[in-house]
Amino acid sequence: MKMLETRNLTVGYGNKEVVREMNIEVLKGQILCILGPNGSGKSTILKSLSKLLNPLKGDIYIKGEKLSDIKGTSLSKTLAVVLTERLNVGFLTSFDIVAMGRYPHTGILGRLTKSDEKKIWECLGMINGENIATRYYNELSDGEKQKVLLARALAQEPEIIILDEPTTHLDVKHKLEVMSILKKLSKEKGITVILSLHDIDIALKSCDRVMLVKKGAIVDFGFPEEVGSNKSISDLYDIKDAGFNAFLGTIELSNQSKPSVFVIGGGGHGVPIYRLLTKKGIGVNTGIIHKNDVDYEIAITMGLDIQSETPFSEIKDATLEKAKSMIDKVDTVIDSGCPLGNINRKNIELLAYALESGKKVLSIRDKDELQRCLAMNYLNLKLCDSVSEIMDNLDIGGEGSKW
Amino acid sequence: MRDIEMSYGKYVVIYLILIMVLIAVFVISIAVGSVKISIWEVIDIILNKVQDDSVNSTIVWKIRLPRALASMIGGAAIAVAGLLFQIFFRNPIVDSYILGVSSGSTLFIALLMLGGVTFGFSTLSPYTLFIGAFLGAICVTAIILIVAYKVRDIATLLIIGLMIGYLCTAVTNILKTFAENEKLKEFIIWTMGSFSGFTWDQLKIMTIIVIPFLFGAFMISKPLNAFLLGEEYAKSMGVNIKFFRICIILVSSVLTAAVTAFAGPVAFIGMSVPHIARLSLRTSDNRMLVPLSILFGGTITVLCDLIARTLLAPAELTISSVTSFFGVPIVIWLLLKRRTKL
Repeated sequence: MKMLETRNLTVGYGNKEVVREMNIEVLKGQILCILGPNGSGKSTILKSLSKLLNPLKGDIYIKGEKLSDIKGTSLSKTLAVVLTERLNVGFLTSFDIVAMGRYPHTGILGRLTKSDEKKIWECLGMINGENIATRYYNELSDGEKQKVLLARALAQEPEIIILDEPTTHLDVKHKLEVMSILKKLSKEKGITVILSLHDIDIALKSCDRVMLVKKGAIVDFGFPEEVGSNKSISDLYDIKDAGFNAFLGTIELSNQSKPSVFVIGGGGHGVPIYRLLTKKGIGVNTGIIHKNDVDYEIAITMGLDIQSETPFSEIKDATLEKAKSMIDKVDTVIDSGCPLGNINRKNIELLAYALESGKKVLSIRDKDELQRCLAMNYLNLKLCDSVSEIMDNLDIGGEGSKW
Repeated sequence: MRDIEMSYGKYVVIYLILIMVLIAVFVISIAVGSVKISIWEVIDIILNKVQDDSVNSTIVWKIRLPRALASMIGGAAIAVAGLLFQIFFRNPIVDSYILGVSSGSTLFIALLMLGGVTFGFSTLSPYTLFIGAFLGAICVTAIILIVAYKVRDIATLLIIGLMIGYLCTAVTNILKTFAENEKLKEFIIWTMGSFSGFTWDQLKIMTIIVIPFLFGAFMISKPLNAFLLGEEYAKSMGVNIKFFRICIILVSSVLTAAVTAFAGPVAFIGMSVPHIARLSLRTSDNRMLVPLSILFGGTITVLCDLIARTLLAPAELTISSVTSFFGVPIVIWLLLKRRTKL
């Protein structure tokens, strides 16, 4: 069932068009998330959809009825909002705030009936907020405030809830809690949720539809799994110094420095080292990593030079040779201590090659394991216990091995 | 749930106490003065409608009773007007006095008394005064309202209100400069603001205007509550914003004008009483605050009027000089205590 539909909708203020020609459809029980950089017009869209702002062109339909034809009171029983504006409500308790949501349902003086009160407690229950009911709203934490505002919207018994950046200012716990409440509302109560978010990761993982807004236009609209590719998200936010990995849902700073370190990675052991080196502005090459390795995903998001191998197959000699030539170009090699199994055993040869060619090698591998793998002791090999110790030794530079 | 049910009982007790305090202050203010009358005699004179030629009954019926009633109703009116302005501008330190609405009334009264503008009336009747004061109040409020559409920032709005107030005062002063001595004296006594010499006629007019609008303020307390969340939330809950804006402005302007017309500008009652009401029950629910402001406004103004006429008797202070002593510490305290925002 179509809950909300826009036809050639252009929104904005006065004669300033902010977002043009929107044609979207949201069904019952769907969560639609609007993503876009600051100032792209997300709030303008949401305000127009909730009739707080008149559209400049085109029409909005709520359950097939033109929004401009729906009277205030009847609209408030269909559509509720949670805005970003911070409230200062003086001596109103959470209960009072949620009770405000009963506005369209109560009489001239807003007296609450038993069933109103029951509904209010039910809404407080949905946000796990019974325990904060009698506390003053102004004294709550940001997370609790947001939940109370959500409960207030619910108390209107709407079929659509529109939320403008409901997770901004919240800690991780409350972010996830708010999203899980919204998901529950959409799946169990069939409420349609339209919201804007800045957390790309949360958006892609919890919404049914995603709309990308940029420079006054809808760039894309559809399934998050399709819309949220690495490139489309990076383009959306004009991210140049970082990369987005939709698969892992992470943003990694780009490493654009000239490589001076080669990291032998694999099995996720490379990630902390890549991140540390990138943070310090040290350029990195890495290998030999299988393409199904998490190190591969992160390294490629950072834009590192990688010597990689096809998934689940043993490292080929050609790949090894290429990796060796990469090592030739750097001064230092870091052995991440990655697990060595049948298919990536050749990394030992790579390590030996680095030692033989006199590169400074820092390793966080177990001492016994190293002794088993290597034929002899090398003076240019330095054992470290942790990634931070590697960094310390990297900064001091070329004193040689101590073991 | 039990907490909330219990608090209803608490409210009833507080209301009863406040009503008793109001009655007590009211009776005491009639009893105290240059001629002291015992409290029992006051009660006897009022309840049994003793209207013989005795000095005491004359003092009570001709002077002190209308004055006490006027200050009670007037205080209630400006307190509620202040409450409405505070909600409307979403600012805790505004009232009709600070926003310059009273100055607007003063200017129009000056036009009437000094400038010879009669608005079509031949004599200066209490009605003319009220209409003048009302037009002045509405004009200033309308200007502030127009600016409020353009300027979202509350502090700016407040300063603009202050500036308009100064401008009104400036024009009033120009009128004063060119006024005849006789008229000037009359006007200056009026601007000093006092409930002294309130006649039953004036009281009747003020009451007829004030009571329905106080009732009106109570009747719009549900949308007023919605306004606490801001206009956008209010609109999303189905409040007809344009209509209630006009409602709030109309009610608060009429209440301000009704008092200003007869008692002159009264400072700080409108600002401080709503806060006292909020703090007393620690609530911002306007269904509570409207009646509470009426009770507190009445009680405090009667008390201030009593102080104004007895403190340095036989000299009489202006009501504003006493209410300022009440109000200014509250403003300062509110500013210092900004953390727990009201």
